Amino acid sequence: MSRPSKWARMEWPLLINALALCAIGFLNVYSGTRVHGVPGTALVTKQLIWILLGVGAFFAVFLLSDGFIEETANGFFIAVLLLLVVVLLAGKVRGGAQRWIAIGAFNFQPSEFAKIAVTFALARYFSGTYRYGGVGMREVFPAIGLVLVPFLLVALQPDLGSAGVFLFILAGMSVVACVRWKVLAVFAGSAAAAVPLLWFFMKEYQRQRVLTFLNPELDPLGAGYHVIQSKIAVGSGGIIGKGYLQGTQGSLRFLPEQHTDFAFAVFSEEWGFLGSVLLLALFLLLVYRLFFLTARSQDRFASFACGGIAVFFLTHIAINLAMVCGLFPVVGIPLPFVSYGGSSMLTGMMALGAVANLSRSRFTFQGGGGKGRGIDS
Amino acid sequence: MKSRIRKREQDPDITRRSLILLFVAFGAFALLLGRLYWLQVVESDRYRDLSENNRLRLRTVRAPRGLILDRKGRAIAETQGSFDLVCSPVDVKNLESEIDLLSEIVEFDVEDSEVIDKIRRAKRTNPYSGITVARDLRFEQVSVIEFNRENLPGFSVLVEAKRSYPYGTAFAHVLGYVGEASPEEIEQSEDDSLEMGDLVGKYGLERLMDGELRGVNGGRKVEVDAAGRDQRLVEEVPSEAGGAVHTSLDADLQVTAQEALGNRAGAVIALAPRTGEVLAFYSGPSFDPNMFTRGIRKAEWQALSSDPRKPMQNKGLQGTYAPGSTIKPFLALAALEAKVQEKGKTVLCTGSYRLGNRVFRCWKEKGHGVVDMYRAIVQSCDVYFYTLGLKVGPDPLAKLEKDAGLGTITGVDLPGERKGLVPDTEWKRTVSKSRWNDYESVLLGIGQGAIHLTPLGMTVGYAALGTGGEVMRPSIVSKVIGKDGKIRTFAPETLRKLPWVQENVEFIRKALAGVVNDYGTGGGAKLPGIVVGGKTGTAQVASVKGKMIKSEDLPYEIRDHAWFVAFAPADDPQIVVAAMVEHGGHGGSAAAPIVKAVMQEFFRTRTVGPPRKEGA
Repeated sequence: MSRPSKWARMEWPLLINALALCAIGFLNVYSGTRVHGVPGTALVTKQLIWILLGVGAFFAVFLLSDGFIEETANGFFIAVLLLLVVVLLAGKVRGGAQRWIAIGAFNFQPSEFAKIAVTFALARYFSGTYRYGGVGMREVFPAIGLVLVPFLLVALQPDLGSAGVFLFILAGMSVVACVRWKVLAVFAGSAAAAVPLLWFFMKEYQRQRVLTFLNPELDPLGAGYHVIQSKIAVGSGGIIGKGYLQGTQGSLRFLPEQHTDFAFAVFSEEWGFLGSVLLLALFLLLVYRLFFLTARSQDRFASFACGGIAVFFLTHIAINLAMVCGLFPVVGIPLPFVSYGGSSMLTGMMALGAVANLSRSRFTFQGGGGKGRGIDS
Repeated sequence: MKSRIRKREQDPDITRRSLILLFVAFGAFALLLGRLYWLQVVESDRYRDLSENNRLRLRTVRAPRGLILDRKGRAIAETQGSFDLVCSPVDVKNLESEIDLLSEIVEFDVEDSEVIDKIRRAKRTNPYSGITVARDLRFEQVSVIEFNRENLPGFSVLVEAKRSYPYGTAFAHVLGYVGEASPEEIEQSEDDSLEMGDLVGKYGLERLMDGELRGVNGGRKVEVDAAGRDQRLVEEVPSEAGGAVHTSLDADLQVTAQEALGNRAGAVIALAPRTGEVLAFYSGPSFDPNMFTRGIRKAEWQALSSDPRKPMQNKGLQGTYAPGSTIKPFLALAALEAKVQEKGKTVLCTGSYRLGNRVFRCWKEKGHGVVDMYRAIVQSCDVYFYTLGLKVGPDPLAKLEKDAGLGTITGVDLPGERKGLVPDTEWKRTVSKSRWNDYESVLLGIGQGAIHLTPLGMTVGYAALGTGGEVMRPSIVSKVIGKDGKIRTFAPETLRKLPWVQENVEFIRKALAGVVNDYGTGGGAKLPGIVVGGKTGTAQVASVKGKMIKSEDLPYEIRDHAWFVAFAPADDPQIVVAAMVEHGGHGGSAAAPIVKAVMQEFFRTRTVGPPRKEGA
């Protein structure tokens, strides 16, 4: 049984798409951070290192043997859960939330990796429950239980933004995994009913954010400041933008978190509507390709994992951009490949590497038993 | 093992579901695209304006105020650099906590709560203005503020021009002081460029010459960052410094006058009689005009304004006092001019004078015996002048006094001058609506009764005696070098030339020299080598019935005012000095030494030729 080599089945469009986004992100991090007098290695240099490490991570995951990801999915999931517990107990506190673990000079956020771990665990679970005619109510409960544990751990940090991403991944994967529409409707309904309940669990600053999202002018110099300044940055970019390194909102530090969560504000101020459309197109292409691979994979685990990862990216992109444009409350969700940050970069690249790995299955002859987990007998 | 076979060929269900999610993705992207179109294309202009407002600040560059100089070119009011704490209200994030932090570092111009109110008000009405909240910070304070920069958005330390008065309290009443223009002043000012935070003269020369001294503000358009820090200069219009005002004042003389008066309340004025130039003009108690420069605090202001000795009043210009015996030379001259009494005519002083059933005492209980006009002036005999006052009558006396400058607005270039009062029958008729009584004429003879004069008016009158009838307008400003560089000089201005018989005036001058040098009441002002001519005055504040009590033994408020007015050299005066000490007691002992000190300082650097033949 001969198969093309791994390299021949390499998913180049995905990597090239991601690298294009990385390049934009890299230039943008330079623009967003050049005025900061941060001691130590310049953030832009660090970002370059992260990109290179990210590409390494991509290939490391891509080169894993067929089936390895599926087999280790549960173990990976449990390991990440342990890390989340460690963060809660011994993590670094920044801005009122405990999200970071320090390793040497680098800090990383286990919640980012948890998103991928949850995706694989769900994919593995759903690949077992799939049946023609749709998955029923009873099989969905274990999946909810699976997500609930990391969700609570992250929500306790507290990082409601990242916790929310788990729910989006669960919802998206439920759709891909052919959970019956009726069942989905029931859960969607009860989730909607639970929203007011959520209010009571929020911390004061989170409530403030929601309130100021609804009306930013409530507190233009306080909680509404981020949204207002971000909208000013985006809007003042106009059609062609102020030009690279010419943005004033960013370089004069009116923007909060301008190299991480609000990186898009810096970008769209300098590159305008045209640049924003180009960036949007690149992201759409990425998401499109991921859903394409979801549909094309010949292996259910691969399909569901790809679908989960597609939803993961879609959620990040949509929420981050909506937040920067003032369509969504301010939450700590980075823009994949564009925002500065190691955890986000590594997670994104690993996720794409996994997709590239899993999508090799579509070249496998049906019935050929060409899966890595051993040729049947 | 069957259940584990999960291979498929593009499961149509999964494909369909993936497509549905892809459409959701398209929807999300379409929404974002629409939003971006709205922000960046439709509303772009509005946001561009907002971002410009964010980053650009128009900062006023205040023009340095012009110098005020004394006659020797020494600065008596100047402009120095000062580290000021300035607030840009729009950039303030948390006002209370920032003020809290700052109040530990600096002392605000006003109370904390007032600062907060002021900034809060400006945040609504004029958020891009600069509000100075503390002035003249020390270097340590500046460095602590800079260190806490991150916690103090909206506050910055700027080098601003500060008005400074190197002689402190000495020139306070003449120079006046400056303060921030009030909203009313800005509204009423003819100068459109006057804006909030600008300093304007509030008093004295600073107010009178404000138009010359105030420069033209410049502006700086700067780019600021989110913390309100200046990043880059975009455009600059330089400021234009104010003009310089040269005065006739002599700082040495002024300081001498201040020291001679000491803690006592009163006024000391020195004039050059031939030109009317004011050489020294001190009023005590004084205040420190530098206090207003850094912003006066409520408590300080209350202390100043509630002080019964009225430190804010220029006593030389605004205080009016009964002249007492200093009026006598004018009465004597009036008698000579009207030819109602010869100089040689003698009067017997028995220590008192009776008119009807009223008894008027002479200051010398035992009486002066037989005195002629010369003796009467030298000894300041009251009885002689009671009779003379009655003889001359109020109207000729009042005319001569007013001609000489007493009881008139002299027109000195200082704001707020008061006239005082020289009574005559006309005044009596219109104001008191009653007939003139003879006893009033008697009292007028010794400068008591309704008459009250400013020390400046008195000084001008003695200057007229010194010049023999040429009345000069007293002036302080001698030269102005305008903002445009144009020089304007102010020549001496003659108000009136009086047709006095020179022989009469010379006699009066000789008699006044006798007061000081011929065993008279003014011996305390005697100077070696220079003939000083002057007259003491002790003006009663309250009449004390019965026995004569020494003024020094009375409570302060009813003690007599002490006067001494003199010129020197007596035959051709170069300087006239008046000293008036409120509740000072006797003129000869309280006021004469002050005049002596000022004259001594004046002649220290001047050589005086031999006295003229007809002189003493």
